[in-house]
Amino acid sequence: MSILLRLIIGAVFLYAGGLKAWAPLGFANDIEHFHLLSWTLGMGFAFYLPWLEIICGLALIATRLRIAAVAILTALTAVFLVATILAKLRGINLDCGCFGSASKGWSFGTHLLVDFALLTTLLLIWFRETRVAPVARLSVS
Amino acid sequence: MKRGLLRQILLLLGLALLPAIGHAIYYGDRVSWSAPELGKDEVKLEEAQSWGDSVLWVDARPDEQFQKKHIPSAILLNEDRWSELLPAFLNIWSPGKRVVVYCSSRSCAASHEVARRLREEAGLSEVFVLHGGWEKWLEGRK
Repeated sequence: MSILLRLIIGAVFLYAGGLKAWAPLGFANDIEHFHLLSWTLGMGFAFYLPWLEIICGLALIATRLRIAAVAILTALTAVFLVATILAKLRGINLDCGCFGSASKGWSFGTHLLVDFALLTTLLLIWFRETRVAPVARLSVS
Repeated sequence: MKRGLLRQILLLLGLALLPAIGHAIYYGDRVSWSAPELGKDEVKLEEAQSWGDSVLWVDARPDEQFQKKHIPSAILLNEDRWSELLPAFLNIWSPGKRVVVYCSSRSCAASHEVARRLREEAGLSEVFVLHGGWEKWLEGRK
C-alpha cells in the first residue's frame, strides 16, 4: 500500500515539477499573483521549486531518502495551501497554481481539494514509513 | 533519527539547487530578474484613457462584481457566461475600436483569458488588458 502511494505521489510531483520547470516564467507569474514575494525572489523560486519537486518525487519513488522527501513535499504542500487560503482571504482571484498550465481555470475549491488530498496522502506515507523500522531507514545516510 | 533526517533533507535541498542553477543560467537573459513593467498585451490606464472614445471597455469580472460597480460604459463579458454575453459585445463593437479588458486586480488572470479568446475566437486584433485592472481604475479616481 505504502509503495503504491509513494509511486502515485512521486509521479504527481514529477509531473507538477516537470510542467513548471518547462515554463519557469509562467510559474514566476503564478508566484507573483500571490503578492507575497518580490519578483526577483519569486523568479528564484520559479527555477528552484520545480527541481525540488522533481528531485523529491524521484527520491520518494526510488531511494532511501524517501522520508526526507516526504517531509519536504509535505512542507511545500502545506505552505502552498496556506498561501492559497491567504490569497483568497485577501480577495486575490487565483486561477493558476501548483500544476502550472495544467491547473489554469481551476476554482478555489478545486485547488483546496487537490492540496488537501496531496497533504493527507503525504502524511499517510509519512506515518507508514516512519512506523516501519524508522531507525534502520534513517540511519542510512 | 532527527539528525539523520535533517541531513537527508539538506541533501535533497542541495541536490535540487544544482539543476535549478543550471536551468537559470541556461535561460540567461530570456527572463527578467527585475519586475516587468507591462505584459506584452497590457496597456496602462493613462494610455487607454488617452484613446478617448475609440476605447471599448470590457469587464471580465463575475456578474455580481460588475453589478456593484464598473467603469462607465464598460460592457460585461466574462468567461462564466461567455457564449451568452459575446453576441451583445459584438453588437456594440465596431471596426477601429480598441478593446481594453479588465478584471479585479493585477493578480487576476480573467482579463488575459477574455482578451485571448477575443483575439482567437472572435478574431479581433486590437485587444488589450488594463494593467492593474479595476484596482488601478479606482486608484486613478482618487
